[in-house]
This record gives sequence, C-alpha cells and structure tokens, in this order.
Amino acid sequence: MKPIREAAQVRRDNPKWVAGSLAFGVHVVFVLLLVFGVSWQTEHPAPVMVDLWQSLPAAESHPVAIKPPEPAKPVPAPEPAPTPKPVAEEPPPPKAPDIALEKKRAETERLKKLKAIQQADDRVRKDAALAEADALKKTRDKQAAEQKQQALLRQMEADELKQSMANESAANTARAAKQAEAQAAGARQGALAQTVGKYRDLISATVRGNTRLPDNLKGNPQVRCLVKLLPTGDVVSVRVTQSSGNPAYDAAVVRAIERSSPLPLPAEREARAAFVPELSFSHRPQE
Amino acid sequence: MNPELSQDLSLMHLVWNASLPVQFVMLLLLGASLMSWWVIFIKLFTLKRARQLTDQFEHEFWGGSDLNALYQRISSGRESVCEMGRIFEAGFREFLKLRGQSGQSINVILDGTRRAMRATYQRELDSLESHLSFLATVGSVSPYVGLFGTVWGIMIAFVGLSSVAQATLAQVAPGIAEALIATAMGLFAAIPAVVGYNRYTHDIDRLANRMESFMEEFSNILQRQATK
Repeated sequence: MKPIREAAQVRRDNPKWVAGSLAFGVHVVFVLLLVFGVSWQTEHPAPVMVDLWQSLPAAESHPVAIKPPEPAKPVPAPEPAPTPKPVAEEPPPPKAPDIALEKKRAETERLKKLKAIQQADDRVRKDAALAEADALKKTRDKQAAEQKQQALLRQMEADELKQSMANESAANTARAAKQAEAQAAGARQGALAQTVGKYRDLISATVRGNTRLPDNLKGNPQVRCLVKLLPTGDVVSVRVTQSSGNPAYDAAVVRAIERSSPLPLPAEREARAAFVPELSFSHRPQE
Repeated sequence: MNPELSQDLSLMHLVWNASLPVQFVMLLLLGASLMSWWVIFIKLFTLKRARQLTDQFEHEFWGGSDLNALYQRISSGRESVCEMGRIFEAGFREFLKLRGQSGQSINVILDGTRRAMRATYQRELDSLESHLSFLATVGSVSPYVGLFGTVWGIMIAFVGLSSVAQATLAQVAPGIAEALIATAMGLFAAIPAVVGYNRYTHDIDRLANRMESFMEEFSNILQRQATK
C-alpha cells in the first residue's frame, strides 16, 4: 500500500507539468507523422502537360466521324413506298361493277328501244339513231373506264415519282446540311486563323520590344527560329534555323525571345495548337 | 519553369503561406488542441488517483478498523485523502460536534451530519468535474472553427483564380490544400476532446454513485452509534 501512496504523492506534486509535457509530446508526434508519414507531392513532371495537348486534337476529330450516320437516315425513307400499292390495287374492283351496271342498263334500254321500234314504225329511224347513240355512249364509257385506269396508272407513276423526288430532296437537304457544316467549319477555321494571326503579331511585337539591335545592322534582314514552348507560354529552347547573315543580330533575336518568356498565347486550345509545342518564328527588325 | 508548377506542397510551406485569417484559425485550433490534451492528461491522472485512493479508503473503512482512529489519521492531513475520505471526515466531525452538545435529538444530529457530508460531496464533485466543460466546448466548436478556416481559404483561392486568364488546377490546389489543413486541425482537436469528455463524465458518474451510497451507509452506521 505504501508504494502506491508514494507514487500518488509524486504524481500529485506536478500532474500539471507532466500533463502539459505529455500534451506537447502528442502534438509533436502528430506533426512529425504528418511531415514524414504523408508523402506530399512536390514534383510535377512537365511532360504530362505535353501529353495532354497531344491527345486533345484527336478528341475533337471524333464528332466529325460520328456525324455521317445522320445524313444516312433519309435512305430508309423508301419504306413508305409499299403503302401506295394497296391503294392502287383496291380501286379497280369498284370500277368494274360500275361498268357492268352501265352495260346492263344499256342492254335493258336497248331492249326497251327494240320493243319501241317494233311498236312504233314511224320512229324507226329515230330509234336507230338512238341506238347508234347508245352504242356510241357504250364505247365512250368503255373508253372512259380505260382512261380512268390509265389515269390511275399515271397517278401511281406520279406517286412513285414524288416519292423519289422526296428522297432526292431529303438527300439534297442532307447535302445542304453537310455543306452548312462545312461552311461553319470553314468559319471556325477562319476565326482560328484570325486569332492565330493576332497572337503571332502579338508575339512579334513582344519580341521586337525586347530586341536590342546591334550597331552593325544594315537593312531589314529576316531571321527564322524554331521556338519550343510549354503550354503556359514558357520558352524551353530557341534555335536559329535560317540565319540573317549577321550573327550578332541572330544572337540578339534569340536573347529577345528568351527574355520575352512567357510568350502570350491564345486561350483557345485549337488556336494554341499552332504555337505549342513548337513555333516556327520569323523576325525582322522593322515591320 | 513556371512558378506554379514547381510549388512546394510540404506541410510547413502550406501553413506558412496560408492567408492571415486561416493562420489565425490554425493558431487558435493549435491552442485549443494543446489545452484539451493538457486537460485530458490532468483528468486522466486525477481520476486514476481518485479511483485508487477510493478503493484504498473503502478497503480500510470496511476492514473493521476503528472509526475514531481513521478519523484521526485523515484529519491529521499527513497523507493524501480521497474525496470519500473528506466526506467521511466532514460528516464525522459534525457528528462528534453535535453529539458533544447535550440535549440534541438523534434526528437533529443525523440531519446535521448528512448536510455536512452533502456539502463536501458537492464541493468534491465540482472539483472533479472542473475543466470538463472545456473539453466539451473544444469537442463541439473546433470542427466549426476549422471549417470556417477552410471555407475562408477556399474562398480566397477562388477569388485569386478569377483574376487569372488561364485557370489551371495548379493555381487552386495549394490554396485548397492549405485551407483543408484547418479542417484537419479542427478534427484533430475535437475528436480526443469528445472521447475524453465522454469517458471522464462516465468515470465521474461512477465515482459519484460510490460516494452517495457511502454517504447513506455511513449515516446508518452513525445512527447505530448514536442510539447505543
């Protein structure tokens, strides 16, 4: 029992100090754990960025590849063609009874008229004329029926023609849509070219502002450089591909390009593809 | 190289480069965390000692030793006394005083003793529970304080992003990382505080139960002595 009491006595003397140091120790351990235990990423390899840029143009070409199925839709349109056929088959039967009825009626009329001829001798000629007229009528009816059938046939042909016309017009609209797309793409291309040109001028102006012309420079010679760029506009390396003939001026231009890093680059990815990762850059001391 | 690409994301760097409000929040949370751990350790030691001494006292008390001798030993103040021992001392002193006065009925004597014991019990319980409310406060508030620091830091990171033409993840990442450290610190302060608070309130409740039952039993013993 005594040792416990003594231990208690010792602890009671300075529990606050012991507790304070222990609390401090806990925090120190925790901070050390955080600093050395967790691997904080400190390096961002630049090539990753370059890979990102190379993959992007491929993604943009995809929509173009997907679009063709849309114009293909009008091709299944000929399916409605079978529907007019039943319509064409149905009409003839109603026509045939009409003709039969008319024939019957004509026959009965003729019989009646024959009786009348027999009954009335005076009107023989007239009746004969009537009969002739009936015969004429009959033939005319027949002709009319034939004409009707022909008209129907013509109608069918016209329907088919219309169908094919409709198909053609659908194809035409599809073609027009394609053309519009192409035009839009062209417009985009134009806008792209415009921004590219604008930024090219901007880069030229920046480099020109930073160029310190050597004293022995004569005329307005052109230097052509190949500039390697990061997507952020930072200059990685500059190489002279076509010298101006004046080494001092070449060196001045290279220095100017390095000094104007980062170069101004367009925000659009497509426009930036013209500058990154390599930019062929030609430069003259005066515009 | 671009400065934002080569950012050093080490912990110290993040804390050092944080905005002023976030740094203030971090400092506050560090202080709260240190204090709460300090209280946790103090309470750990005091409660452990209280439990040990209470066990020891109960062993002595129910071991059949003379109450007068026990009272003499405790009131001399030579050895550390547990809460239960102090209750015993106060009650027994009051009992002796009241019995010394002639013409007091047993009920009066016992009521006085019980009042004295209850007063001591309250005082001891209060001293046992001191600083526990601090743990509760840290446990409930520090996550919010940390969250405030995080929200503030992220706000600042995004405001900075809005003024940049070309927004990349590398521009917001350090700001968000340093802001999230505030939340991490808030949780680091809160979790032990909540655990300690729950654990210690439970321990103190058990000790209080033991003391209360001791008071009742001691009253019975005194009643028996008084009627003798």
